[in-house]
Amino acid sequence: MSTVLEARDLAKNFGGLAAVTSLSFRVEAGEIFAIIGPNGAGKTTTLDLLSGMLSPTAGTVHLAGRDVTRLPPYARCHLGLGRAFQVVQPFPEMTVEENVLVGAQFGERSVSGAEARRRADEALERTGMDRLRDVPAEDLNLLQEKRLEIARALATNPEVLLLDEVMAGLRPAEAREAVTLVKQLNAEGVTVVFIEHVMPVVRDLAHRVLVMDYGRELAMGTYAEVTADERVVRAYLGEADAEAT
Amino acid sequence: MNAARKGAVPARGAPAGLVRDLVLTGVFGLALFLAPTLLRDWFGQASVSYLSLGLRALAVAVLALTWDMVARTGQLSLAHGAFYGAGAYTAAILLKNTGSPLWLGIPLAAAVGAVLALGLGAVTLRLFGIYFAIATLAFTEVLKAVVQEALPQAVAGGAAGINVPALFRPTFVPGEMERWEIAFLRNQSYFYVYAGILLLAIVVSVLIQRSRLRSAFTAIRTNEWVASVVGVNPARYKLLAFVLSSALVGMLGAVEAHRLGSAVPEGAFAVHVTVLALVTPIFGGLYTTVGPILAAGVLATIEETFKRSLSDGYMIAYGLVLVLAILFMPRGLMGLFRGLTRRMKRGPGPPSEASASPAAGGEETGA
Repeated sequence: MSTVLEARDLAKNFGGLAAVTSLSFRVEAGEIFAIIGPNGAGKTTTLDLLSGMLSPTAGTVHLAGRDVTRLPPYARCHLGLGRAFQVVQPFPEMTVEENVLVGAQFGERSVSGAEARRRADEALERTGMDRLRDVPAEDLNLLQEKRLEIARALATNPEVLLLDEVMAGLRPAEAREAVTLVKQLNAEGVTVVFIEHVMPVVRDLAHRVLVMDYGRELAMGTYAEVTADERVVRAYLGEADAEAT
Repeated sequence: MNAARKGAVPARGAPAGLVRDLVLTGVFGLALFLAPTLLRDWFGQASVSYLSLGLRALAVAVLALTWDMVARTGQLSLAHGAFYGAGAYTAAILLKNTGSPLWLGIPLAAAVGAVLALGLGAVTLRLFGIYFAIATLAFTEVLKAVVQEALPQAVAGGAAGINVPALFRPTFVPGEMERWEIAFLRNQSYFYVYAGILLLAIVVSVLIQRSRLRSAFTAIRTNEWVASVVGVNPARYKLLAFVLSSALVGMLGAVEAHRLGSAVPEGAFAVHVTVLALVTPIFGGLYTTVGPILAAGVLATIEETFKRSLSDGYMIAYGLVLVLAILFMPRGLMGLFRGLTRRMKRGPGPPSEASASPAAGGEETGA
């Protein structure tokens, strides 16, 4: 296995607040990698650093062996990094199809019009959004917005997909559907890094889990290993119980 | 379901829409070509003033449409006066200081506009919203000061400006034509040049709207960060819109200087130009090709009518119209028309979402 995505000693301060501190990890090609932790642990900040929305105070990010720390988000996208946001961010003035087409047309450096259309169609079908393709994005409900978020990221043809709490707010049946989709994508070779609060989902999906607390690595390992870790249990006490049910 | 989708895909295909828009542009061009002759046949001597109204509408249409191109990327530019003035002065300085051919100033003005926009854009397009607007406004003032104070008076004429030779000098043939026909011929020639610039701007606008550039522009306008995460380079497309727009405005500035006979700092870099460029597309409907052009025609006509009937206070009435328009039609004339056509298509029965929405979608991707 080879490393596709790596964080080396990442740190991000917001003024006096250290959101992420000396965080290092490697995501291997073909892996499903979960990041969990209590609210405010720095999970979303970490994804922001990986995707280039934020530039780190210290440390570097490597994508496919290349130092991308100074590259803007679109350049990382061209190198194969896709992202779905926690707070869904569709382009509200566009239809569902137009939203996904943006990803398909610009996700790689040069994509022909026909190829972009094919990728958009595929992303729409896989996320079950093809029936809604002509609906304005502003008219979608939350579940549909989340699917659109994933569809648009998929259309960029990513090798590594960052998913930020895409299961939150889904009903069990919907969550199962989403889990199946992630597994399918992974089986096709897409590496997945995801943030999740729903523990059964983490258990079902993740090959490895990074547990964060206060911006640092608290534990790392398989689901069984980290959930057996006493420090993790302590950090999660209350919250994990409430959310796992 | 499947059939509906198959139907939707070709209808959205870029080529069909592009061809339609270019054909419509050609029809509009033909109408512009015939307009002066028709006006002359119908109105005789009065056609001179109709033509100058037409000239004004064409000039405002170019300002408005090119401003809209920049607005499509989410940038509010207050530099239209700068590029207009730069164009005027490019032609003026060139012809005053060199023995260049009369027409060379116009393409050169486009080049100067593009280069200035590239420079200004590279520095300022990283700025968001109001900061970009202020920077572009400041740029207009700086450019005016440079022309007026920094450049040697012998080259740029200082505050007094430079005389610019006319592009057309129709000769009066006694016996064969009447006095007013001189003014008509002169206006007619300029009318064609203005129309040519407008048609060029329309073609640029249509090519943007019918290609993936439209996706990029809209995505950047809506959310620059998200656009970047899905692979759109915001700086690149904002710069592209800014450069195209400024080149076209530069050309307009040069031709206007020829027609007005001079380039003067206060006139060429007037805030008035910037304001017109911004108000007109808002009145007509932002992010469309037709809206700004339609608004230019309507506003020029309203302004002219008020000027004749109200004399002194006409600017107050004109301002009132603009305020009311923005209050009661926030999406401009185009928004008004879209609302009407949608209502007519639906008819009196209950609105059928399935049949109405693809049609409406097609309408909105239109020119």
